[in-house]
Amino acid sequence: MPQTLFQIATPLAMLGWFALALNPVAPKVAQIAAMAIPLLLSLLYAAVILVYWAGSDGGFDTLEDMQRLFTNAPLALAGWVHYLAFDLMIGAWIARTALAEGINHLFILPCLALTFLFGPAGLFAFAIVRFALTGKVLP
Amino acid sequence: MSFAPIIALHRGADTTALARFTAFLALASLPFFAAHLLDQRMVMDEAVWIKPLKFFAAFGIYIGTLAVYARWLPPSWASTRLWRGYLVVVMACILAELVWISTAAALGTRSHFNDSSALWTAIYPLMGLAAMILTSASLVMGIGIWRNTSSPLAPALRLSIALGLILTFAMTVVIANVMAGSDSHLIGVPISGARLPIMGWSREVGDLRAPHFLATHAMHGVPLAGLAALFLPRAWQSPAVWVAAMAYAALTAWAFWQALAGLPPI
Repeated sequence: MPQTLFQIATPLAMLGWFALALNPVAPKVAQIAAMAIPLLLSLLYAAVILVYWAGSDGGFDTLEDMQRLFTNAPLALAGWVHYLAFDLMIGAWIARTALAEGINHLFILPCLALTFLFGPAGLFAFAIVRFALTGKVLP
Repeated sequence: MSFAPIIALHRGADTTALARFTAFLALASLPFFAAHLLDQRMVMDEAVWIKPLKFFAAFGIYIGTLAVYARWLPPSWASTRLWRGYLVVVMACILAELVWISTAAALGTRSHFNDSSALWTAIYPLMGLAAMILTSASLVMGIGIWRNTSSPLAPALRLSIALGLILTFAMTVVIANVMAGSDSHLIGVPISGARLPIMGWSREVGDLRAPHFLATHAMHGVPLAGLAALFLPRAWQSPAVWVAAMAYAALTAWAFWQALAGLPPI
């Protein structure tokens, strides 16, 4: 079951990123996709946690405990879905903010790629680009 | 994107909180449906998430019905702090029940009749109290609708809604108390485990959940009779509602007696 869900969740998130990459062409579609897909992934995450959390071993208190948590396949899947959902949400915010503040999409594409691959690094990249171009940091 | 206008359509000044809570319950059940599809575990010969899903459905129907009926409460109630505070308490009790039942399901154990540890044993009576409080909303609303003489409803229909709500409270509390006082909802020991589809009631031995179901749905059954009574001559309408309410109570009492005698509902 975790394998199948993994194979569904990842392409689903890719679809959202693809829509974000085309943000200037169809901003409405991009925003809807990049909100609906994280919501769907969140639903999946919640279900996986409901089913598998109780039987898991490990926890958040030490690094060793956390590693042990992720040796459990369904919980590793949950962790991955967590990344997919939240990264895409952040991607949607980056694309929306860039469009509203007139930041050229060419600056945004690398930020989106970074967020997709390395979440927080992409957020940091966007924060710098945004500050350099508009002087703004916080929403 | 906002769904607020959809919910607002169902609004009568004081039904908003209940209608919104109904929508919340319906949507909050989605992860539990998904969990049901993923989970293979069983508790008491039943897939673990069936019970939480049944309670989501039951509370959704209960609060949704109260949301419909709330527009016929005395208009002055909507703005009072007492009524609003009371609704918050009722909704909190429903959430507490759902958290309790879902946590037990997640752990793969029972919620009701669970005495496997001191914690579960301690929680059970608290949940009984919460159930009592949330059921009291039907009594309070029944009295409110009864007393609202400025109601736009036909008198017989108003009577049927009020009687249905009051019967829901009275009969549910009695039956649920007996059920909570025993150590199972079953009266007798099933051998084959044959059960009714969807409802899950036993087909071999007495099952107190059947009269509990009838008792709780008085708030639907009696008002339906009230609607039917509107086709009668005017003078007969209210007496007909009284007869229907008594017949409904008698039917529930008979089902209760059947269950206590160890006889299956069907």
